[in-house]
Amino acid sequence: MIKFEHVGMRYGVGPEVLSDINFILEPGSFHFLTGPSGAGKTSLMNLMFLGRKPTRGLISMFDQNINDLERAKLARIRRRIGVVFQEFRLLPHLSAFDNVALPLRILGRPEREIRNNVNELLEWVGLGDYMKSLPLTLSGGQQQRVAIARAVIGRPKLLLADEPTGNLDDEIGLRLMNLFDQLNRMGTTIVIATHSQHLMDKFEHPRMVLGDGTLKINAPKNWIQKKIKGVF
Amino acid sequence: MAFFLPGDKKLGVATGRRRYDLPLNKSAGTGFLVLLIALMTFLGVMALAGSFALGSMAHHWSSGLENKLTIEIPADDATGTIRTREDIEKLSESVTERLSAQNFIRDIHALSQTEIQELIAPWLGEDAENIPDMPLPGLIAVEFITINDHLIEKMRADLANIAPNIVIDRHESWLADILRLTGALQFATLLTTLMIGATTIIAIAGAVKSRIAIHRKDVELLHLMGASDRYISRQFQRHALILALQGAAAGAAAGLLGLLAISLFAGDTAAALLPEFQLNMIHIFTLAALPAAACFIAAATAKFTVLRELALMP
Repeated sequence: MIKFEHVGMRYGVGPEVLSDINFILEPGSFHFLTGPSGAGKTSLMNLMFLGRKPTRGLISMFDQNINDLERAKLARIRRRIGVVFQEFRLLPHLSAFDNVALPLRILGRPEREIRNNVNELLEWVGLGDYMKSLPLTLSGGQQQRVAIARAVIGRPKLLLADEPTGNLDDEIGLRLMNLFDQLNRMGTTIVIATHSQHLMDKFEHPRMVLGDGTLKINAPKNWIQKKIKGVF
Repeated sequence: MAFFLPGDKKLGVATGRRRYDLPLNKSAGTGFLVLLIALMTFLGVMALAGSFALGSMAHHWSSGLENKLTIEIPADDATGTIRTREDIEKLSESVTERLSAQNFIRDIHALSQTEIQELIAPWLGEDAENIPDMPLPGLIAVEFITINDHLIEKMRADLANIAPNIVIDRHESWLADILRLTGALQFATLLTTLMIGATTIIAIAGAVKSRIAIHRKDVELLHLMGASDRYISRQFQRHALILALQGAAAGAAAGLLGLLAISLFAGDTAAALLPEFQLNMIHIFTLAALPAAACFIAAATAKFTVLRELALMP
């Protein structure tokens, strides 16, 4: 589904921040992306949500080689990806409702459907009373929930989240991780970039570990055992 | 039930009217753009109306003198002696009689003293008739069925027998100069109209580029969320169209008022020297289409500028 082959990336004429990245993410998989600061997590996320083009190598998403795709097709692929940015990137002049509704409006969904879905999701993330509020009047945690709701409202095929529970208290954080789990069970591929060892220990998913511009995938023992049990 | 209730606008709360994903209507310089389009439309209306007036006058002059010439019996004879008014009238009658018999003449008319004084009134004033001794030539207006050089030469030889210094004026020399001048002026006004259009395009493109720069992060976000280039450009296009509609309507109204003022205040003075000029239906439609053209230019410029900027994004 998502395949990186010998991918390298540099900014301008600077040194390579990612070099020879190779991995395959199967549909419906769930991975944590981790590594020390400056290892290139944000750069890798950028490549995955098509925010930048690789300097070298091949990237294939949803069975299409993105290096050769025309703009309109790239836009269609982006619509299948939900992103939770670390700095949220909410549109400050739009209400929480309109921010969450944005992906559905881009998809051209009817207004009635948008209203029902957005109301339901905002209620679910505990922001039912803040639908008309502008982002600047919301706390960091509330903004993060709006950003997460916006990323998942369109039922994306791939969800990329950069430190999605960083500003949340344990209860809300757990609730949102359960939401990600639920989406994952419905077939969404999920990649969560995090520094939180606690989060990774609690939810045993394979880890994509970035270091020195290269990537290794480690699977926790329990996860391997579960998979083996699932096979036999 | 409506999602937003009336009167919900308060600090930190969005209004129910969501018109743009990007806050273009709140951008600085919106009023400047409306004013600029209004001024450009006003100038466009004035320049185009000027071009139409010149074209119409040139047509009036050239078509009015087609197949026509003027015979002048000079106020003095070949020796330089001033002719009396009676002599000139007699010579005029002889010329009229001689030419009336020709089958290639459609109409012939000797101008009376009063008519000649009316012609020179714009230069000498209404008091010209009070100068009885002022020598005036005799003028005879002749219309041919079809004019050609051979007929004129034949006529010139014929009339030389009546008075050798009779002048035949085909109006070619002064008419050619005037037509060349009006043609040049007409070209200049059309060029001015085109320059106004080009300036509008450049100004709108600049304004759109600055708005993209202001909202670059938001535009990039929409792009990353999968919004098509068309989806994003449509927002700028609609914004430019609304501003252009406001500006063009104001500019066109000001232009029409300006034309009305010109016709009211300069009409009497110009009427004596210039032929009468009225806008025809094509002129009126073209002037009315100018604001629509301004709106189209604004929307199209916005669209193409945004598409070009978006093409730089991955």
